[in-house]
Amino acid sequence: MPGYLVYLLTRLGQFALVVFIGINIAFIVTHATPIDPVEQSIAAATQFGSTSPEAIALMRQSLKELYGLEGDLAHQYAAFWSRILVGNFGPSLSAFPTPVSVLIGRALPWTVSLLVVSTVLTWVMGNLLGGLAGYFHRSRALRLAGILAMAFHPIPYYIVAFLLLIVFGHVWPILPISGGSSMNMTQEWSWAFVGSVVSHAILPVASLALVGLGGWFMGMRALVSNVVTEDYVTYAELGGVARRRILAAYVMRNALMPQVTGLAMSLGAIFNGAIITEQVFGYPGIGTLLVSAVHAGDYSLVLGITTVSIVAVSIAVLLIDLLYPLLDPRVRAR
Amino acid sequence: MGEPVLVVSDLRAYYRTSAFGIEREVRAVDDVSLTIEANEIYGLAGESSSGKTTLIKTIAAAIQPPLEVLGGSVVFNFRDRRVDMHGVDRQHLDAIRWKNLSYIMQGSMNVLNPVRRIRHAFVDFAFRHIGKPMPLFLAVVREHLERLHLAPEVLDAFPHQLSGGMRQRVTIALATVCRPDFIIADEPTTALDVVVQKSVLAMIHEIQRELGSSIIFVTHDMAVHANLTDRLGIMYAGRLVEEGRTADIFRAPRHPYTAHLIASLPRLGDSAPKKGLDGAPPNLAEPPSGCRFHPRCPRATERCAREAAPMASLAPGHRVACFYPEPERSA
Repeated sequence: MPGYLVYLLTRLGQFALVVFIGINIAFIVTHATPIDPVEQSIAAATQFGSTSPEAIALMRQSLKELYGLEGDLAHQYAAFWSRILVGNFGPSLSAFPTPVSVLIGRALPWTVSLLVVSTVLTWVMGNLLGGLAGYFHRSRALRLAGILAMAFHPIPYYIVAFLLLIVFGHVWPILPISGGSSMNMTQEWSWAFVGSVVSHAILPVASLALVGLGGWFMGMRALVSNVVTEDYVTYAELGGVARRRILAAYVMRNALMPQVTGLAMSLGAIFNGAIITEQVFGYPGIGTLLVSAVHAGDYSLVLGITTVSIVAVSIAVLLIDLLYPLLDPRVRAR
Repeated sequence: MGEPVLVVSDLRAYYRTSAFGIEREVRAVDDVSLTIEANEIYGLAGESSSGKTTLIKTIAAAIQPPLEVLGGSVVFNFRDRRVDMHGVDRQHLDAIRWKNLSYIMQGSMNVLNPVRRIRHAFVDFAFRHIGKPMPLFLAVVREHLERLHLAPEVLDAFPHQLSGGMRQRVTIALATVCRPDFIIADEPTTALDVVVQKSVLAMIHEIQRELGSSIIFVTHDMAVHANLTDRLGIMYAGRLVEEGRTADIFRAPRHPYTAHLIASLPRLGDSAPKKGLDGAPPNLAEPPSGCRFHPRCPRATERCAREAAPMASLAPGHRVACFYPEPERSA
């Protein structure tokens, strides 16, 4: 099928272009920040007592060599790409000499599991409830759910996070309020450790879900109330097709398609981490890592995290584009 | 002739809305009575907003707020059961839908789910009535399609892969696969060009003769009525104003409105300019008093503004709601 091949190749080309531009922007932005990792390290080393200017100059020179920051910007740019293309983000500057990939690899499972769970949970619940609310628009319980979703939706999620912290960590202290697991536990596949991870994840997941639910709910309700007025739904009702079947195969199925795009986009965005949530709950994920990297002026780490998330978002979008024809046969024809 | 298949008596269906305390009542169907015999095609004509679609929605018991049925009844006498459409629950209605009563809708472009293959529509609508395991059921469907000169391969197509005419023919096949007693056809040819229209009408006619079903066929296109229907009902402003054999109505319309409708049709060799009717169809939220046609009627008198004429038989099988019907003409 040459038509599909052409489509595939153009799409892959677009993917490469987006990734290239994205990484370049990340490079420019990090190198344009006023924070200099070399000066940060010197400041840290010299804050107790005075050091002679010659020693500082010497230190600056060796640090630059060590961090790979010698030479002009063009030189650094070339060195950066030659490393990135083989998947090497170099050593972290703030946690020298740990490689960036090790730091990201350590934080990624926390963030990904936290956000995959909360995103998928929120998406499924929001669409299910929103779809039902759109279809049974006279149901009182679902109307109430709509009002609650609308009330929660505009609240910034960190406010909800703080609220949950106060309620479940202080007023009624039943859940741990900080960290990814209990500090004194070794990370292993034991019930105790998994239980600790789950209990630590409840509040962050709840804070993300409570706020995210409203968006999916309202979006799906609006989509469904459009779909139910379509002729094919009316016709199926006149045909005496079972209600359950109409709801699943005619209404939900058709309304869900734009929502699937939305899900893939938010799954891609997971690699950015949920910066504020992770900060509030002291979660050892990518968001926390990124914030500390920015504070320390750790170019390599910031670039490593942004590169991972640029590639992840682009792959997510690419995958939707390639898989969408399976969901909507009308796209196949083009 | 046996018992009629459909008896509609004194049916009233209004759209009732209430916004900010202002009640509004649109009398879309007002005191309509009609009967449809077995094995006949009954045409329903009238301009836009004359209540045709509301009438058939009410007949099909597809009532959604703000539409409400305020009075009258719709009773079907199917081969195997008698159903009062507004006196039974949803389960009973679902049991007769497609088995006894099916529907061909306006704008069949969109009546098939765009993301599912045609086969699934047949399964969803008809499988529970045919009562055969899936492979045999699909064989029945294939055979039915072939009888209607459709390639069985359409079952594996998506709706967008078929042309408009093809889709309309597929929905006719879908509506007839369970051999229903009664088919409601709501403007099935309106969106098609005349060439496709002709083949679709021929198909409807052919399958009707074969199944012996009754059809209520709604369209504002008088030419279609002339070619297809056995009897014709004319609606104006929510009321039935004339009913009779199609040939009689075309030859000698008795209601002044029908007379205008027929006179406006172009005829071969007739080069006289056509005159439009003065005025516009009435607002059904505040219909005129008495006969709803009286403000536009050339024959109206004071009596017409006071009281509405009931439907009365002028000849066997020819009913008219007018105090001063057009004189009978002999062709």
